[in-house]
Amino acid sequence: MTSRLRIFFIENAVVILFVVLIAFAIPVSGLPASFLLQEILTRLGRNTFLVIALLLPIMAGMGLNFGMVLGAMAGQLGLIFITDWGVVGLPGLLLAMIISLPISVFLGWLCGSIMNLAKGREMVTGFILAFFMNGLYMMVVLYAMGSIIPVFNPEMLLSRGYGVRNVVGLDGVRQCFDNLIPLKVAGLNIPVFSFLIIAAVSLFIVWFRKTKLGQDMRASGQDRAVSGAAGIPVEQTRIVAIVISTVLAGIGQIIFLQNLGTINTTSSHEQIGMFSIAALLIGGASVTRASIPNVIVGVILFHLLFLVSPMAGKNLIGSGMLGEYFRQFVSYGVIALALVLYEWKRATQEHASRATLRGGKPAASKGTGA
Amino acid sequence: MNFMNSRSLMQRSALLLALLVLSAWLFYIGKAHTLLIDTNAVTVDGREFKSAEAITVSVDGKTPEDMGRAERILVSVSGQEHTIAIEVVSGSSGERKIEKRFTVPTFMDAAIISIAAILGDAAREHWVTQFAEADREDAPAEQMQHEGDATLPTLPDAKALLPKP
Repeated sequence: MTSRLRIFFIENAVVILFVVLIAFAIPVSGLPASFLLQEILTRLGRNTFLVIALLLPIMAGMGLNFGMVLGAMAGQLGLIFITDWGVVGLPGLLLAMIISLPISVFLGWLCGSIMNLAKGREMVTGFILAFFMNGLYMMVVLYAMGSIIPVFNPEMLLSRGYGVRNVVGLDGVRQCFDNLIPLKVAGLNIPVFSFLIIAAVSLFIVWFRKTKLGQDMRASGQDRAVSGAAGIPVEQTRIVAIVISTVLAGIGQIIFLQNLGTINTTSSHEQIGMFSIAALLIGGASVTRASIPNVIVGVILFHLLFLVSPMAGKNLIGSGMLGEYFRQFVSYGVIALALVLYEWKRATQEHASRATLRGGKPAASKGTGA
Repeated sequence: MNFMNSRSLMQRSALLLALLVLSAWLFYIGKAHTLLIDTNAVTVDGREFKSAEAITVSVDGKTPEDMGRAERILVSVSGQEHTIAIEVVSGSSGERKIEKRFTVPTFMDAAIISIAAILGDAAREHWVTQFAEADREDAPAEQMQHEGDATLPTLPDAKALLPKP
């Protein structure tokens, strides 16, 4: 029983840590419950789709897809185009998604192909690839748009005549999804349509896991060599996982930005990967295992901490900036913690396997939770 | 194998075509237009149409707006087909309420909707006209100029006012 409890605490160390932190920070922040509830509902509708985009690469054994930033870039390009063409409302958002689709598929294929060349180091590859593609994206947005790619709305261009302005207003599509099915319960606005989209994509993930391709992904994630020997096209399956993840990230970025109502052309996509990954890890996921409940719990905990930490910092030390620094620390720190935990578990597992081969006592009985 | 390949190619082509058609349709129904509801008098084929003294106008069921003569209000809409409801509150032909449908061409970003032409039953092609930047100067002419208003001197006259060197 004690061993089970120990395993439970080790398995859920990150979630427990954050629940304790939030339980301490909420009363200190002094923020009213109604405000926190409203903000969490809004942020659930805004961010959950992006975090769900991370699930399939984890299932395929490719770890946390830092390359999802590529999909976010595609989503932003779709939004920039519809803003330029003056397409508004729900049709505008759907058109932005269709525009982002081929760009996401191409970038996902590129990312997957490169990750296949760097098996076992997919996360760092995706991370660096996102930096590289960010340079290309900047070239497209700040140079090609208006000079090579026609931009019809001169107000969107920089004064030099080419390159999109740093901030693009999304007035025509602002909160179109959120307000499509208006529902107010006890004074709280509930973004019903955004939740329906999230439910649909969650059902898609659940269904996809049961398909032949989904099973192939799981098998490839567990053991590439065995899967290859069993006739599963491992590399192709991994590319499909990254392509789907990138496409979902593109759509997720559109849902995210329609809620905010503005695009920061050069930086809206940059933090998305980091924040989504941090949210997923806070929800109890690991580099090798993640589920829909991890996504929901993660988004709630991560954003609750985001909301309360500045005020808690201000009330405790008299500086709201401390909360801001704490948010940054939490985002990067939780990723580092998850990676360390993953490596520790892997090392323990290897040690246990070696001990078993030697005929010794398996390490699992020591309660590592590996 | 060849059959499978061509079938797969056909399926992908059909999907691509469907996406293109869907995109075109979304563009068609989602394209935003700025409508300038205009109560200035218009002349069509030598015949002058004037708006009523006071009206309320509503486009696509939006909140009605009060308008007098020679005024313009701005309404943002999306799509091509729209309905305009005009209620004449005060005018020579008495109080009445009409509702008309009109179409804005897809690539016309800003259009002037002539209330005078609609109320006067002018031909439909005169209801909607393209808004050009120059219209900004023309538009307030009826509204701004009143009898007794001082007129600005023309350029040669202005030169005459300058002190001679």
